[in-house]
Amino acid sequence: MQLFIRLFVLFSAFTLLSCTKEEPIYNTQSYVFGTLVDITIYGEPQLEAENMASEMMRMFQNLHNRLHAWRPSEIKTLNHVFSKGKSPASIDADISKMIAEATTLSIDSHGAFNPAIGQLIALWGFQHDEFKPVKINPNKIQALLAEKPQMVDIVLKEGKAFSNNPAVKLDLGGYAKGYALDQALSYLRKSGVKNALINIGGNIIALGKRGDKPWRVGIQHPRKPEAIATLELPSGWAIGTSGDYQRYFELNGKRYCHIINPETGYPVEGVQSVTVLIPPQSNAGVLSDVSSKPIFIAKTSKRAQAAADMHVNDYLVIESDYNIFASPAMAKRLTWLDKAAASHVVQIQP
Amino acid sequence: MLFKFNLKRLSTQIAQYPKPLKGDWLVFLMSVVVVIYLFQNLWITQAASQLNIRQGNELVGTYDLNQTKEIHLHGRIGDTIIQIEQGKVRFKQSPCNNQYCLHQGWLSRAGQVAICIPNQVSLQLISNRGPEYDSLNY
Repeated sequence: MQLFIRLFVLFSAFTLLSCTKEEPIYNTQSYVFGTLVDITIYGEPQLEAENMASEMMRMFQNLHNRLHAWRPSEIKTLNHVFSKGKSPASIDADISKMIAEATTLSIDSHGAFNPAIGQLIALWGFQHDEFKPVKINPNKIQALLAEKPQMVDIVLKEGKAFSNNPAVKLDLGGYAKGYALDQALSYLRKSGVKNALINIGGNIIALGKRGDKPWRVGIQHPRKPEAIATLELPSGWAIGTSGDYQRYFELNGKRYCHIINPETGYPVEGVQSVTVLIPPQSNAGVLSDVSSKPIFIAKTSKRAQAAADMHVNDYLVIESDYNIFASPAMAKRLTWLDKAAASHVVQIQP
Repeated sequence: MLFKFNLKRLSTQIAQYPKPLKGDWLVFLMSVVVVIYLFQNLWITQAASQLNIRQGNELVGTYDLNQTKEIHLHGRIGDTIIQIEQGKVRFKQSPCNNQYCLHQGWLSRAGQVAICIPNQVSLQLISNRGPEYDSLNY
């Protein structure tokens, strides 16, 4: 009987311990880049985690201010310089690097990712914190397309920049959040943090794990206030989603989303969301932000090619509740919460 | 039929059984482990029981979902009204332009999230079991 009592005590202790043990986890949210930023740090003392999170929020706010496309910022000043013709102006080294990287990615995407079309984005009314439905003038769109603003028009030389094409107007809205993720990850690594999860408006990068389990992220249902599926995000991996539900307006019952096809000048139709998963590399955050756009914009038959051009293996495309496409690599990773959706998943053949 | 608990009779009955062997203890041990495991993993309540309301970077509060209540918040651009109605919650009124938050409709299941970015207010439904994921790729 004594053995029984001993065992009983042991088990009680074990169960109680597993119930009451507080996870060493710190979580905070804030609003930067016109979206929600969510920072989770695991395994650091509460106070240090809090300080590091506020430091990262400051970094994000600073980047946001510098890269802002329509409020006074370094980018806005630069756009003014570009519009003046070939008169070079000094720019900061990090902004020069960002433009160079965005240019490379724009070339990879054959122009589907084109941050030089700021004028087109402004014409559609998306360069506002709170935008209103816009009655569009097809002639103006055609006029802007005819000017062919491209990233390769920008010349970067010895700390100075100018544009060969005065129509170039930078809008780094599809790049900045990803860049901020990469900055955050390198800050965390330098600070000796082993485990964290950073989410900037749906672009997420993971570091380490949550205790003994990998970080798990939910993929937003494009039409419901919940996750449609979840997946593990291993250390160093990043995930990003482009959706027609994030920024859009409706006019005469039709939805116009913020993702504009640089070739047609019109918002993309027929796709609700594209999610990409990026393996660890120095610019995983940037790639998680940028790579989803060319896949979002591509015609159904050209999607696999668009993904290959961006070197993306893991991606998910949701056209509607009944039309869901996943790359074979992505399909293996997903755990579906929406069982009805799960039965409609088709694997994309590369 | 009423079951009468007779301690004396029970103890004599137990005494008649042979002493438990090592294997018996092992079975007992394993059954306890299995029970604890199942309890921790299957004690699921999918319906949410509580609601976290955040404004900016502050947690405004954690509210019981099983009540009828309206919460008025003064956010970044104006006043938001959140309505709790016996197990579900929604944005009832918001000063934002696009009203995405109102379009989200009623939330009732654990893990559901609605955010009003312009007024910086978020609703998150939580269950006793904790979330299905650590962050949402919205």
